[in-house]
Amino acid sequence: MKTPSNSIKRRFALKFLRTLVRIRKSTHQPSPSQSSTWEIRRRAQRIKLAAYSSMARTVGSKRAWSRALTMKLRAAMGNRPWSMIKQESKKMTRRKLIAKRKRHMEKDLNSGVQELRRLVPGGQWMDPLSLMQETAHFLRCLETQVRVMRSIVAEGEGFPC
Amino acid sequence: MSSRRSRSRQSPGSSRITEDQIADLVSKLQRLIPEIRNRHSDRVSASKVLQETCNYIRSLHREVDDLSERLTELLASSDTDSDQAAIIRSLLM
Repeated sequence: MKTPSNSIKRRFALKFLRTLVRIRKSTHQPSPSQSSTWEIRRRAQRIKLAAYSSMARTVGSKRAWSRALTMKLRAAMGNRPWSMIKQESKKMTRRKLIAKRKRHMEKDLNSGVQELRRLVPGGQWMDPLSLMQETAHFLRCLETQVRVMRSIVAEGEGFPC
Repeated sequence: MSSRRSRSRQSPGSSRITEDQIADLVSKLQRLIPEIRNRHSDRVSASKVLQETCNYIRSLHREVDDLSERLTELLASSDTDSDQAAIIRSLLM
C-alpha cells in the first residue's frame, strides 16, 4: 500500500504557507476588527480551498483522487460555490442508487461503498479495488494536511499579539 | 494482483464486490481508522470499516473548516513577518 511520505508533508507545508502569505498580503487591512462576518467567511473559504489545492498540487497527477480534486477546485475557484460542485455527482449517484436497490444481498456493503464514492474525489468512476487504494492514500494525505494546519495554528496562537 | 483484475467486472459503474476484495478492503482501511485501531478488535465487519472510514473523512473535513477559520483570524491579527518566519522554521526543522 502506497502511503504519503514525509516529503509530502514538507512540500505541502511549503506550498500552503506560501499561499497563506499571498492571501495575507492581498487582504491585509489596517483595522481587521472592522471586517464583516461575510468577509471573514469569504477569507476562511479561500484558506480552506488553498489547503486542499496545495495538497492536490503536492500529490500532483500521480493519483486519481488528486486529479479529480484538482478539477473540482478549478471549478470552485472560478467562483462556483463548493457545495455546487458536490451537486454534480448526484446525477451519476442516482443511477447507481437504482442499481443498488436491486441487489439485496450486499446491501450494507454497497451503501457503504456508495457513501465512500461521494467522499473520495473521483470515487464515482473507480472500480471497488481502486476505490479502496485511493481512499487509503487520500486519507493519509488529508490527515497530513490537518496535522500541518494544526501546527501552524498552534504556533500562531502561541504567539502573544 | 492481475488475476484479481481479470475477475472483477469491466464496467466502472459496477459496485459488486468479491470475497477477495472484501478481505483486501478490510485489512487496508482498518489500520488507518483511529476509531477501529483504538478498540483493539481483531474482527471488524467490512461494512463497519467503510462506515467508520466515511465518518473519519467527514470529521477531517470539519476540522479543516475549523482550522481555516482560525487561520483567517490569525492572518488578520499577526503583523510582523518574524512570526511567519518562526512558524516556517518550526515546521521544517
